[in-house]
Amino acid sequence: MSQTTYLEAIRQGIWEEMERDDRVFILGEDVGAYGGAFKVTQGMLDRFGALRVIDTPISESAIVGAAIGAAYMGLRPVAEMQFIDFISCAFDQITNVAAKSRYRWGAGVPIVVRGPSGGGVHGGPFHSQNPEMYFFHTPGLKIVAPATAYDAKGLIKSAIRDEDPVICLEHKFLYRRIKETLPADEYTVPIGKAAIRRRGNGMTVLTYGAMVYVALDAAAQLTHEGIDLEVVDLRTLLPLDRDLVLESVRKNSKVFVLHEDTRTGGIAGEICAIINEEAFEYLDGPVLRVTAPDTPVPFSPPLEEYFLPKVSDVLATARRLASY
Amino acid sequence: MEREKPAGVASGEVGRSRRVTRKSVSRPVTRAIDPETHRRMLRFMALARELEDRIERKLYRQGKILGGVYVGRGQEAIGVASAIQTLPDDVICPSHRDMGAFLVRGMTPPRVLAQYMGRRDGYTRGRDGNLHMGDLGLNIIAFVSMLADSVPIAAGIALSFRIRKQNRVVLCYFGDGATSRGDWHEGMNLAGVRKLPVVFICNNNQYAYSTPLAAQMAVANVADRAASYGMPGETIDGNDVLAVYESVRQAIARARAGEGPTLIECRTFRMTGHSAHDDASYVPKRLFKEWESKDPILRYEQWLLREGVLRRTDIDYVHRSVIEEVDRAVEWAEDNPYPPAEDCLRGVYHE
Amino acid sequence: MSTKVIMPQMGESVVEGTITKWLKKVGDNVGRDEPLFEISTDKVDSEIPSPAAGILKEILVPEGTTVQVNTVVALIGEAGEAVAETAPAPAEVPESKAAPETPEPSIPAAAPPPEPAVSALAAVEAPPVASEEGPASALPAAAAVATVIPKPGPKVQPRDIRTSPLVRRLAREHNIDLSQVTGTGSEGRITRQDIERFVEDRAGAPSALAAVSAPAEPAPPQKAMPVAEAAAAPAGVLAGTAAGAPPAAAAAPAPAEIPQFVGESETVAMTPMRKTIAERMVASKRISAHVNTVFEVDMTSIVQLREKHKVEFERREGVKLTYTPFFVKALVDTVREFPIFNCSVSGDNIVYKKPINVGVAVALETGLIVPVVKDAHLKSFTGIVLAVNDLAERARTKRLRPDDVQNGTISITNPGVYGGLFGTPIISQPQVAILGIGGIEKRPVVINEAIAIRPMVYLSLTFDHRVIDGAVADQFMARLKERLQSWTAWID
Repeated sequence: MSQTTYLEAIRQGIWEEMERDDRVFILGEDVGAYGGAFKVTQGMLDRFGALRVIDTPISESAIVGAAIGAAYMGLRPVAEMQFIDFISCAFDQITNVAAKSRYRWGAGVPIVVRGPSGGGVHGGPFHSQNPEMYFFHTPGLKIVAPATAYDAKGLIKSAIRDEDPVICLEHKFLYRRIKETLPADEYTVPIGKAAIRRRGNGMTVLTYGAMVYVALDAAAQLTHEGIDLEVVDLRTLLPLDRDLVLESVRKNSKVFVLHEDTRTGGIAGEICAIINEEAFEYLDGPVLRVTAPDTPVPFSPPLEEYFLPKVSDVLATARRLASY
Repeated sequence: MEREKPAGVASGEVGRSRRVTRKSVSRPVTRAIDPETHRRMLRFMALARELEDRIERKLYRQGKILGGVYVGRGQEAIGVASAIQTLPDDVICPSHRDMGAFLVRGMTPPRVLAQYMGRRDGYTRGRDGNLHMGDLGLNIIAFVSMLADSVPIAAGIALSFRIRKQNRVVLCYFGDGATSRGDWHEGMNLAGVRKLPVVFICNNNQYAYSTPLAAQMAVANVADRAASYGMPGETIDGNDVLAVYESVRQAIARARAGEGPTLIECRTFRMTGHSAHDDASYVPKRLFKEWESKDPILRYEQWLLREGVLRRTDIDYVHRSVIEEVDRAVEWAEDNPYPPAEDCLRGVYHE
Repeated sequence: MSTKVIMPQMGESVVEGTITKWLKKVGDNVGRDEPLFEISTDKVDSEIPSPAAGILKEILVPEGTTVQVNTVVALIGEAGEAVAETAPAPAEVPESKAAPETPEPSIPAAAPPPEPAVSALAAVEAPPVASEEGPASALPAAAAVATVIPKPGPKVQPRDIRTSPLVRRLAREHNIDLSQVTGTGSEGRITRQDIERFVEDRAGAPSALAAVSAPAEPAPPQKAMPVAEAAAAPAGVLAGTAAGAPPAAAAAPAPAEIPQFVGESETVAMTPMRKTIAERMVASKRISAHVNTVFEVDMTSIVQLREKHKVEFERREGVKLTYTPFFVKALVDTVREFPIFNCSVSGDNIVYKKPINVGVAVALETGLIVPVVKDAHLKSFTGIVLAVNDLAERARTKRLRPDDVQNGTISITNPGVYGGLFGTPIISQPQVAILGIGGIEKRPVVINEAIAIRPMVYLSLTFDHRVIDGAVADQFMARLKERLQSWTAWID
């Protein structure tokens, strides 16, 4: 069985959904003949035709707005942001129209807004961002952030089938680095369910996206020091899988959160609050954070390397918490 | 390109006031409108006027309506003469001054009032106010406060018709102020590039809150903007119900024939403040006087009488029945309960 | 009954307004929407129309005075009402809050709503002390116990012991004096491992450890339970008294015959409405000889009729067209053919009633109420729709008048709302029949030797066998069924 990349998994997921359901169509910049800036939509124009694979002007707000309009009419649009950084241009349509529509007048907006996020590829300030928290704060949206090829495919399929607007954050660092053998049979991954990537005893790290691999690398090293780190991959950021998070916290009593997004207002803060409210009496130490610093994502290699959380940061935090 | 003020604005008459800023649009003589359509248009215009008068001048001042109240007094011809031509499968994206369009498409005064009062049976169950309401069953898309957001949405709706090979059209309404927003231009451009079946209808009432047109745009007419998006644009007298009817009729026909979108700029005037708490002191009084004489309902009635379409008694009946209908609606809405407080938590996600 | 005139909020940010001029004097007649006074606010000056017609009974805020929005500035009385008496006035002026919470519709309630009246009655009947303390005391008592229970023994010395939330909880649960535990964490902190080891050592058995490290169930400590129960029990007794049922009048069987549940529970006093329902239901079962018969009706015609007319009807009448009025109308017409269904039993006599007053059951969150469509036999179909709608609406908003729920001659109820096939409703005394409407559902049915999908409904009739025999009831139902199935043309 051949190995499938994270990127190819996403492509397969969209492809399968377009085969399965003729309401699904894609729109975005350069998604047609060019196949998308990262080739996620390659071959789709030929297979599904120009009515279902639509190249748009450089108008992120109109891309999302048009997706919303088509969704009102019963279609299932998948809108690509060429880089997820550009989602800021569509912020208003996403947060004011899509997110509030069902609540205001009962009109659901089953759209997917997807695009490559994250750093590690020397993209600089406008091609490396992690915009999840702009949307995490908006009731009515869902956000998924897969770390594995299996999840990337299963989650994009679930997102397309979901009745609410879903933002899919695909980590571009993983696009071609991550490969695995996918099941031959059709499957989906449910939105709102985290996964335990490594079972451990005594300490938990909660993370997602590319940082899952940083956490796993650190966990391998920590075994030599007698620290058995449990790695929880959140997979869906909104709605958070509170049950699994709290279960792991209650079991291990020591916990920290790791994310590539910047520190202040990052999801770690919210997770700390939830743990504090729901599992305070199970804590045997403070909930710590390992995150990027509060700066834009810098371009130059040494600066970017400094910016991104790495294995050594995780090791230091795990040791501090272990000795607490 | 002609840049003069539309003739109808000066003449104050009905049916002779269209001035096309783009010559290529063919202009056959106004097709005969049947008497029943005339009666319905008059009725909906009068109903919109009475309903909004009651909302703005009575219920709001009695403290029975809270929050923002924005009415389209003096602009009734635009929403009514356009929406009345849609088929049930067509979609409208009205703005906050298009009460007439909402009513034509089937929303009812009792629930509209309940909506304004935040009651349970308002179209948003109390979750949003005023004309921020929609109903997918009636193919009415709800408006948001961020102006022009419905322009790309209208394009997307039309795109879905293209994808499904459906012969449906979208009517998308906005004011002059909305044409300053980026979403307006993005949406117009997308509709133009893809030649989508949308009729863009601008209520140019000459003031965006307190900012007059000249401080809002550097071109003389909103319709001038159409050229940038490869679609025809025309400026018409928005207070002339027949001019609106004819112009929209042709635009809908173009859209249905696959010839793409049209921008229709309806020149009109906001005969009130931006909202119910705004006394419009920044508007020169003479402008109100001038536009009062061009009231779309009075002008229409004079035309109907002159042409013998309706008799005075028919018109009186329309006004009487409209008042009674609104009376009943007010009573119903005041009796309609508020939603239960815990309803606050419901409906954010698919349940 | 007066209508309050309030200072309106003219603009989202406006919090106060000044009355610049009263356009009417106290005692003047004023029409609804007639200009009443003028105000000036930060944003606008405006003339304010009267919210109701009547007589300007009292001006509470004089000209030149600035008050907060929603302040009551005047009272409009009904025509003929005395102008002078001003009892509630002074109390209402200070009620000027910026927040417009509970904006009560300023249309005057036509009559005191029934509920307050009932609860007032209950309050009078109940010993005041009991009614205040009864149901309320259960909670605080239990809560207090729960926080006290932990341990009679060790107390944590705050001095130099460093712990964590987890460690403190484990210490409490295992009765451990933390000063006895040696900490191995940073700066001598007692860690989870430290306390687990301590428990293990103390117990000398691994099972103790298992107990510690199974933290997943945060069940309340067991010893709390009997105490909480004890607290709840007397509360229940008090609550019973509070409800004010004179023991003699209670319809329930002697309490001694009912075995009591043993275990954790909570006792809550019945609301007056619940109590009334309970008494009446049991009484009816004793009075009437309840018998049921069930018919299935093909609703195709009516469904089509409603689909065809509902939009136009709603536009015209401003109310939704539901199925209930169809059943009410058909029931009324059938009752006219079978007058025995519109009677009651009085001693050895049968009392035939002339008007047909149909009670229509409305489910509320708090219980069930059966408002009555009066003189239904005189009403057009539209009249029935409006009456049903009006009553249901007022039932839900608690604005029924006492008269609205009295004098029914036959009733209709709706057990199918949640998908029930049919119900066996209890007769509302002193009536002799009640019709239950199941849910309308598409079902396969055999028509002309072929299977068709039709919207079907089960109608169940409960009738009083004292006066109605089974054959008559079935004839009645057959006619009703025929009437519903053949109802093809719209009638107003």
